[in-house]
Amino acid sequence: MTVTTKFKSGRTEPGEAYVSDHSGSPHAHFMRLTSYALVPLGALSAWWILGLAGKTLDGVRAEIARPIPAIVLLVFGVIGMVHARRGMDDIIEDYVHDDALKAQALVANLWASRAIAALWVVAILLLAAPK
Amino acid sequence: MADADIDRLAARRPLSPHLTIFKPILTMMMSIAHRITGAGLYVGMAFLTLFLLGAAIGGGAFSAVSWIASGFIGNLIILLIVWAIFHHLLGGVRHALWDRGLYMDPRGRELLAQGTLVGGILLTVLVLIFKTLAS
Repeated sequence: MTVTTKFKSGRTEPGEAYVSDHSGSPHAHFMRLTSYALVPLGALSAWWILGLAGKTLDGVRAEIARPIPAIVLLVFGVIGMVHARRGMDDIIEDYVHDDALKAQALVANLWASRAIAALWVVAILLLAAPK
Repeated sequence: MADADIDRLAARRPLSPHLTIFKPILTMMMSIAHRITGAGLYVGMAFLTLFLLGAAIGGGAFSAVSWIASGFIGNLIILLIVWAIFHHLLGGVRHALWDRGLYMDPRGRELLAQGTLVGGILLTVLVLIFKTLAS
């Protein structure tokens, strides 16, 4: 991402020049580290997610309320949404040019991703809890 | 110069029409598809969370979510999520290979682009077949 500075270039007014905030490499590294974890987690989760189609409540419980599917889906949801949040940040920074709207969209993205991850964890825990 | 003048001049300045004039090539399409599937999975995870919450609460809440999820649209959304996972996953593997300097030549990157497209569909169909056989 870029930040404004007081730097005055030949082409811009003061405060209008953009410089890097040096978050690019850590961002790329973060996306890669999470994606390595998401390769096995995503492939396994896809298998169980497809099994949810057209199931009854007992069918859904039988599909994912077992230790390994529950744990894999739990971790997939959390790491997936962390990865998705940073990816959506990229999309917002690329396409939203209005500064105020961009700042709002980034905050909305942060909390939407946290809400999805939190509710995902609660739902899986409730499903997997012994009845 | 007044702001209005700058805005007027900026409006008259021609923008690069990039997408509308570039010849559509596969690597470019797969790059766009990677972003679309990524954004789609964000929304897909929100839908799945609602479905799982409904199942976790049970009773009327599950009836409400399964009314949508067990219909054609619900099945289509689940199938699209699974395809998006595989497409985005293979797109990520492609990037991991490029990070190591592999498959960066014209033939290599074309091969990877084709592999992402075909592989994503193939894995989805395979999982669908095995899942149908297993149930």
